[in-house]
Amino acid sequence: MIEVEGLTKYYGPVPAIMDVSFSVKEGEIVAFLGPNGAGKTTTMRVLTGFMPATYGTCRIGGLDVYEQSIAARRRIGYMPETTSLYPEMRVYQYLQYCGKLHGMKRGELGERLDEVTEVCGLQDRRESIIGTLSLGYRQRVGLAQALIHSPDVLILDEPTVGLDPNQIIEVRKVIRGLAGKHTVMLSTHILPEAQMTCERVIIINQGRVVAEDTPENLTAQIQEVETILVKVRDTDPSVAKLLGEMPQVTSVRSHGDAGPGTYLVDTEIGSDIRSEVAQYVVGKGWGLLELRPVEMTLEEVFRQLTTEERGVA
Amino acid sequence: MRNILTIAGRELRSYFTSPTAFVVMVFFLFFSGLIFTFSILQPQARAEMGGLLGSMVFLTLMVSPFITMSLLAQERASGTLELLLTKPVKDYEVALGKYLGALGLYAAMLVLTLVYPILYAKWGDFDWGPAWVGYLGLLLVAMSFLAIGIFASGLTRSQMASAGICLAAFLFVWLIGWVSYLVGGEDSWLKQVAKNISVFEMFGDFEKGILDLKNVIYFLSMVVFFLFMTVRVLELRRQV
Repeated sequence: MIEVEGLTKYYGPVPAIMDVSFSVKEGEIVAFLGPNGAGKTTTMRVLTGFMPATYGTCRIGGLDVYEQSIAARRRIGYMPETTSLYPEMRVYQYLQYCGKLHGMKRGELGERLDEVTEVCGLQDRRESIIGTLSLGYRQRVGLAQALIHSPDVLILDEPTVGLDPNQIIEVRKVIRGLAGKHTVMLSTHILPEAQMTCERVIIINQGRVVAEDTPENLTAQIQEVETILVKVRDTDPSVAKLLGEMPQVTSVRSHGDAGPGTYLVDTEIGSDIRSEVAQYVVGKGWGLLELRPVEMTLEEVFRQLTTEERGVA
Repeated sequence: MRNILTIAGRELRSYFTSPTAFVVMVFFLFFSGLIFTFSILQPQARAEMGGLLGSMVFLTLMVSPFITMSLLAQERASGTLELLLTKPVKDYEVALGKYLGALGLYAAMLVLTLVYPILYAKWGDFDWGPAWVGYLGLLLVAMSFLAIGIFASGLTRSQMASAGICLAAFLFVWLIGWVSYLVGGEDSWLKQVAKNISVFEMFGDFEKGILDLKNVIYFLSMVVFFLFMTVRVLELRRQV
């Protein structure tokens, strides 16, 4: 549904994105993940036909966003990073205006308005003046205007930024509910968000795509060690040393955040020595409190990818 | 066409939900009313629109920047332009829609001033022909001022700057008329050029009730030129 090939965009002499290529299948929810300034917004602006690329092509449902811009834009619902709306308009007026610009007829517009306000939880705010709404509600209006014409493709630039935790959960729920019916691409710099809402993650850093896979595969690919968390009652420093001398253990770190006596034991991939560790700890009489495998979070993957600049094959 | 009307409608409604429309209308109607009142209080008052229309050109010059300054500058500054330009709407539809919205406000205001000729006609010996020609001239002047205004609004994010550019441009086309009086020699090229680009010089014929196609074309070509430039500016601004 979305095909991007060799996209490059220069702002003056400075490249914002370099040779970005990816594709998104119909009905997929994909996260575009990267730190601030990585080129997420630039990519989305090119994708939505707001500005042309310096090199490369973008296709939405087979339509070139530059050559067949109007036809391509008809199929896109876009929510920009800063949801700027006309503050003097009422919510329903604004949504009608957006629907009309998408060529919707009066009858279907009325029906669709009901659906969209319900999906976005705006039923009781339809008559409100946009300028008086809280940021959370404005964000929902932004989402509603992107949905009004039932677009095939939804492009959401940081849809949860600036919302409070409850609102974030709400908006994520709405987005997950769109899966299947729409192809969704959302950008975010919040990792758990990508992990929770999306089937696939494209990681972009300094204008280049550095990785692209499911959250699970990404963590699996980059993981070099398996880690076991061990918590014992004995706070003697020799515990760490003795644990480190066990076979297949590569290193032992004390896990400061979780209080004294907690250690992260890195072991060789595929070794699974949990029962050996348990026996050993019990044998030594250190007082075993907790023992569990620790999975690498996407957060760590991300940090590795974006700080050490290493790519994932 | 539908998109143009949708945008124009939103623009017009937005004028009336903000103080802009009221401030502009009150300013325009108060001062034109004042001038009208003074003109009929004169002992030798005549039922003619000429002088009044001339002063309305000046008032138009004053209010036009306030009508147009927000059109594109504000949308760019607040970020709403990004949403508008990613809708399936062509750039020329955006420019024309906004232009028509501004023109709609001006036209509404102009209709209200029809009360002056109506009063003239009721109590004096009034000839409607020259009045209509004068009104046509005034509308054409406003159309060209508003076209310059929307272009200026597209150039910058700052509404103040766009109003400033506008005022400078209007004062230029106004003051250039004086050059034609100051420069001596009927065949001096400077005098001829000044005479032919001065808005007031061009409006002079309309004011007298003379409908000259040359003058109509002068104003319309100004409108077309500046609207074309506005579309170009919108296209250019996408690149950055």
